[in-house]
Amino acid sequence: MTTMAAEWTKLWSVRSTWWCLLSGAALLIVGAVTIGGGTATEYLREGVPGMRVPVGEQVISAVSLAQFALVALAMLTVTSEYASGGIRQTLQATPIRGRVLAAKALVVAPVLLVYGTLSGTVAALATYLTLAHPLFGGLARLSPGELALDLLRLGVVVALAGVMTIGIAAAVRSAAGTLTIVFMLLMGLPLVMVMTGLPFLVDLSMRFPMFAGLAFMDSSVNMTGGPMPYGPLEGLTWLVGWTGAALGAGYAVLRARDAT
Amino acid sequence: MGVDGSPPWSPGPGLPSVSGMISLTGLTKRFGGRLAVDDLTLDLKPGKVTGFLGPNGAGKSTTMRMILGLDRPSAGTALVGGVPYHELRNPLRTVGALLDARAVHPGRGVRAHLLALARSNGLPASRAAEVLEEVGLAQVARRRAGTLSLGMSQRLGIAAALLGDPEVLMFDEPVNGLDPDGVRWVRHLMRSLAAEGRTVFVSSHLMSEMQLTADHLVVIGKGRLLVDAPLSEVLASGSVLVRSPHAGELAVRLLATGVRVERRGENALLATGTTIERIGDLAHEAGIRLHELSPHEASLEQAYQELTDGSVEYQAGV
Repeated sequence: MTTMAAEWTKLWSVRSTWWCLLSGAALLIVGAVTIGGGTATEYLREGVPGMRVPVGEQVISAVSLAQFALVALAMLTVTSEYASGGIRQTLQATPIRGRVLAAKALVVAPVLLVYGTLSGTVAALATYLTLAHPLFGGLARLSPGELALDLLRLGVVVALAGVMTIGIAAAVRSAAGTLTIVFMLLMGLPLVMVMTGLPFLVDLSMRFPMFAGLAFMDSSVNMTGGPMPYGPLEGLTWLVGWTGAALGAGYAVLRARDAT
Repeated sequence: MGVDGSPPWSPGPGLPSVSGMISLTGLTKRFGGRLAVDDLTLDLKPGKVTGFLGPNGAGKSTTMRMILGLDRPSAGTALVGGVPYHELRNPLRTVGALLDARAVHPGRGVRAHLLALARSNGLPASRAAEVLEEVGLAQVARRRAGTLSLGMSQRLGIAAALLGDPEVLMFDEPVNGLDPDGVRWVRHLMRSLAAEGRTVFVSSHLMSEMQLTADHLVVIGKGRLLVDAPLSEVLASGSVLVRSPHAGELAVRLLATGVRVERRGENALLATGTTIERIGDLAHEAGIRLHELSPHEASLEQAYQELTDGSVEYQAGV
């Protein structure tokens, strides 16, 4: 508990945290509205009668990009300590290293869960209000129950992405290395694999955190044109698996290597 | 009771002295093929300022990091009060250390930095303000750490070390960047911390500083222990300066008694391995007039130079 209290204090006493949260929300809102507007315009042009734009889906599509701001927040709780050398003071205060890693994860995860859900709510409302405008033909569809579930899952996805990032950051220690790896897992590699069109690679890419998260959020956006190969629950399982593996790697390095 | 069931924090000097002992046994650290610390065995005792001297790269910081559990020893043990550092509950209450004053998140406020440390060890938040007052940083409590001067950063590092009112204090080069007032303040702080019965372990490359602060000296070179002795003993390896119009004659007589003699100009000698009394008596017996007979204390600098010759890791090509 005391270690978590310390991590909580550290999290909120640097400006970068606030900047990350601010840009995360901005990316999510602007992204959702833009994507929603694009979809609505497309439907209008095609003139399909009865087509509606589900608001939740637009927000979920925007997460793929917006999550990187929240990933940066999680990353900085670890890499800024290695960059400044503050990690030595942290480990002096809490020499049981697993406890430090757990405290960082347990502080960041709920923050991202709540913040992801809240900023998702704002993004959904903004998208709904925009699409309700006659310019977009009033095509927005919002079913509160469905949206609530979408937003909650969105919160879980960004929280898990954050914890995965903490694990990776503890393993590689540098911000550049962490961002590269996280980007590759959450976007780069799976996209490249899908683009190859090779069935084996496409299938494999669906197990990466990016598509696992989308599957968990029950999104059909998987760049293949076909349905997701598995349901939300399996998506969550893959996501938790990746997060666990990253934390395990981070813990192993944190324990084995000197803290210099 | 504290949040995690530990006893409530209490200030004051009721410090059990045995638990403040640091014991290194065969402590060794290897980086790749290079031995940074080589089989170091020594005890650091409470109530004293122990100076830790050695040339750059001698292994001082590595030794301190191993005591703090930051670096894992390749062999041997470092115990604080009989247990390895990582077994200490709320270690900041037992050991306070300043390793690198600049190792603070530059964007974090001075007070927030201390507050986070206090919370990590279940110390009351009021301790942050108290130690800031103690080191004279109360005015800058709201500033961000990155905006502090090096001297202020040192004070912040010292404040962090004092936070848990620990029995053991370790400082790596604490006077770096401090102005003369600050240097005097640190000197006084070390002395008073030791006087309260705490174990104070200070590394420095300023030999003159150690001469003024330390009770006990530990000197290492190339990771190996060279000296572990009271300051007075290290300095007593000094010699005697003699001036006499008959210096030559005196030198002959001194050499005859097995004393090492060095000629210092026409009328002066530097005698090693004897005492002022013996030279005075000898001169009196021989009827030799003396113009000066004074202790020539080897400065610590000089003693240190002799000790570490041949164990310097990085030497300028002179």
